Amino acid sequence: MIVKHAPALLVAIPLVAAYLLPLFARRLKHLVVPAALFALLLCSAGSLSLLFQVMHTGLIIYHFGNWPPPVGIEFVVDRLAVFTVLTLSLVGFVVLVYSIDDLRHELREDVRGWYYTLFLTLLASLYGMAMTNDIFNLFVFIEISAIASCGLISIKEDRACIEAAFKYLLLSALGSGCILLAIALLYMVTGHLNMTYLAQAMLQAAELYPYNLLASLALLVVGLGIKAALFPLHVWLPDAHAAAPSPSSAVLSGLVIKIYAVAMIRLLFQVYPAAFLARTPVAEIILWLSTLAILLGSIFAMVQEDLKRMLAYSSVAQIGYVFLGVALGSENALTGGILHIFNHAVMKALLFLAAGAFIYATGTRKIRDLSGIGQTMPAAGVAFAIGALSMVGIPLTNGFVSKWYLALGALDAGRPFFTAIVLVSSLLNGIYFLPILINAFFRKPSGNAAAPRALPTPMTAAIVVLAAAVIVFGFFPGRMAGIVVLAVHRLLGVWQ
Amino acid sequence: MDRVTDFLPVWIVAFPLVMTFVILAVQQYSEKLRNVLSVAAAAVSFLSVAALYPFIAGGEIIQLQLFSLLPNLSVSFRVDILSFSLALLASFVWLLVTVYSLEYMRHEHGCNRYYPVLIATLAGCIGIFLAGDFFTLFIFFELMSLISYVLVVHEETMEALRAGYKYLIMTIIGGLALFFGIVITFELGGSVSLNGPLLIREPSPLALLAFIAYLIGFGMKAGMFPLHVWLPDAHPVAPSPASALLSGVMLKTGAYGLLRVVFHVFGGKMLLEAGWTTLLAALAIITILLGSAVALTQEDLKRRLAYSSIGQMGYILLGMTVINEKALLGDVFHIFSHAFMKSTLFLAAGAIILKTGKRKIKALSGVGRQMPFTLFAFSLAAISMMGIPPLSGFLSKWALSLGALDAGKPYYVVVLLISSLLNGLYYLPIIISVFFGRAEEEGHGPARINEAPPKMLVPVALLALTTFLFGILPWNVPFDLSQMTAKFLIRGGF
Repeated sequence: MIVKHAPALLVAIPLVAAYLLPLFARRLKHLVVPAALFALLLCSAGSLSLLFQVMHTGLIIYHFGNWPPPVGIEFVVDRLAVFTVLTLSLVGFVVLVYSIDDLRHELREDVRGWYYTLFLTLLASLYGMAMTNDIFNLFVFIEISAIASCGLISIKEDRACIEAAFKYLLLSALGSGCILLAIALLYMVTGHLNMTYLAQAMLQAAELYPYNLLASLALLVVGLGIKAALFPLHVWLPDAHAAAPSPSSAVLSGLVIKIYAVAMIRLLFQVYPAAFLARTPVAEIILWLSTLAILLGSIFAMVQEDLKRMLAYSSVAQIGYVFLGVALGSENALTGGILHIFNHAVMKALLFLAAGAFIYATGTRKIRDLSGIGQTMPAAGVAFAIGALSMVGIPLTNGFVSKWYLALGALDAGRPFFTAIVLVSSLLNGIYFLPILINAFFRKPSGNAAAPRALPTPMTAAIVVLAAAVIVFGFFPGRMAGIVVLAVHRLLGVWQ
Repeated sequence: MDRVTDFLPVWIVAFPLVMTFVILAVQQYSEKLRNVLSVAAAAVSFLSVAALYPFIAGGEIIQLQLFSLLPNLSVSFRVDILSFSLALLASFVWLLVTVYSLEYMRHEHGCNRYYPVLIATLAGCIGIFLAGDFFTLFIFFELMSLISYVLVVHEETMEALRAGYKYLIMTIIGGLALFFGIVITFELGGSVSLNGPLLIREPSPLALLAFIAYLIGFGMKAGMFPLHVWLPDAHPVAPSPASALLSGVMLKTGAYGLLRVVFHVFGGKMLLEAGWTTLLAALAIITILLGSAVALTQEDLKRRLAYSSIGQMGYILLGMTVINEKALLGDVFHIFSHAFMKSTLFLAAGAIILKTGKRKIKALSGVGRQMPFTLFAFSLAAISMMGIPPLSGFLSKWALSLGALDAGKPYYVVVLLISSLLNGLYYLPIIISVFFGRAEEEGHGPARINEAPPKMLVPVALLALTTFLFGILPWNVPFDLSQMTAKFLIRGGF
């Protein structure tokens, strides 16, 4: 029975836990961390159960309170949603394990309890965004996520964090405004908020009110573009992701920005009529913006001296891959783009956590000061190397798999130029990641890097698990790719 | 052609990989055991490759699909006569070089890094030759290229790190170009398997793009102009045994890849008809002349050898553009003979540097009286490089020239002759000065003999002997293998 409610529970469990944690923090301090872990463990179990159900039935439709749409809120768990939910659970859980020890040195004791509350709230909203089939409900989750993210950035309470959080808050509010306006425009012309009904109503509305649809489309692309840090709307990201505590950076860079991309994919492929989109240059605009993101993100990353800032800029480039796949629109390209959501989540979380480990152990975040760190911290160093090689797209790492699909997809779409872009970007990744590795492994350890603090076991374990995931999904990408290919079939089936 | 399934290729590739980790684990306890295991790993690899001979001699092709990554994309192995020849060559040279390293590296730091990396690189190198499809080839190509970076920067000097960085960036560019070629091949042919049929049959702009991408990817590795820039920096800074492998064996992976591209992706006929071979031929001719000419101006011994490698790789690249049996025979045989010659030269150079500490050619005068055996081996290989009969270098040039004449391209022969002349110009002065020149610090009376230790001398002598024996012996294994390979490739290679 309880399995039937898994979609709702996936949102409800972390949300309830988030509200309980401050109470625990007041009276039962030692229970805060186990409770948070337990909540996420339940969520992981829930996602796995969803996976089995969806593989069995293909689609789960859940009506809140048994109110059928268009009145009630509806969750639709298709393969895309299951894929996203799995990504969230895996990476979210590992990051949470890591954060237990890392936060001891990054945060003051009295705010540490709040951190878990924010973290769980954020995950609840992300789960919701992945599964909801209601466009206003989507907006609600977007708002929750924005506020929780903001909290996760500013919780460190130093100047850089507050400033970054404020910047994020402003731009994010602008994005939310755009999205709300777009939803209002859509509701005006169709009278629906449920995506399935919306899609049907839009077929007619596209003929009657093309400008309303066009305006809403533009607003959505800008709004979600800001949230997903699509170039040139990425300006908030490097500050925010670099300033936040390392586990927050891992979640923000690895998961949060991707979920907005998932929302965008849903709206573009499942809601807006294909014929209408074909009349607009939206695909071409996203295509070129993502190309710019890929190239400029990497070039900006090259000149960074701060390790985490460099990783943040690299995220700007990597989110470009996802949008590149979406904009090219061929089956392989879309598969590559969506698969990159998972692959990049694992890689970037790994890199941020390893970077966090370096910072934890040495107290420095300058790339220059980390020479020889690979020799004094072999586990974290090798894990970082695996993540970096995956970024470059060395075969038998998971980064290669998404690149393979994207490159193939660009050829399928008849645009070999964009295959070349994917490859050039790999080279750029190599140019800024490899010197770090050389520095870490082939130079004499100096300064703090020569005698790092010992890393607590849970932190090491989290990093090793992610590094293993990079390799495992590089050797055996078939399962994950299989889910994504089926998800893409559904997306493209509706599109055509 | 019979096709059989056998797990031997997997063993051959996996064994050195496993040994790498064994050596990593063992070296914490005993240096001696580490050295023994390294030599044993190389020796077992050589023997395992040799064990494939009964299949190959019977005209069989071994195929094996290990596991599938994505639909139509798998890790697979395939051994035909070409793979076998090159794997045999690689593991043979590797074995000798590992033995040589024992003595050479005794005075070096970081041996605990050197030996595991040496054996891991062997795995990558043999993996390239035994790969059954371009994807597997790509995996091992990246593995070998990335790991051999550690060999290049072994000295950890600023110079080595700078050369290493250049090498790394060029490697990544090459790897990505290769990736581009493979993706286009997959798109056009639906598969990247070497088990045939031809993957791309029609010339199209996309196919041309793939050809160019392959040229960049493999050409970079083979030191083809204008992608050779990393080579003269990277080869000399590595420890001498590593230079011998980089120049003698690893360059050949690029040539091997291009042979596969010519005969398994496009097919010689299509390339000739579309005229794309002209592109490769032009680059090869520039490579030959440039490599040989620039070698003349080098004063550092190892740098001169490195430039000479560029020139010699040009022969191999040129040979494969003349698509007939004779030229291919010369081509494949030159892969053998250049591997023997260049590893002799680098190992001998290493012995000289170790014993005398001199790297500048000017400073070497009279060294021949001090180290007669080493320098005799050096001279033998150098004379073979010039293509003087009856040494093996002559045999390959002879076959290449005959092939070029058959194909109606006499000017290729002129290029080969000019290059031989240039080879003579930069090798002969070295030989003359080391034997007949006056040593700088020479006192009175005859120079004392101060030879390299036997562990170094034996590999050098063996390799030098091969250049001699495989020039005149009627029982000439590399030549027979080259002949079979040439026939096999011209017939279609499936």
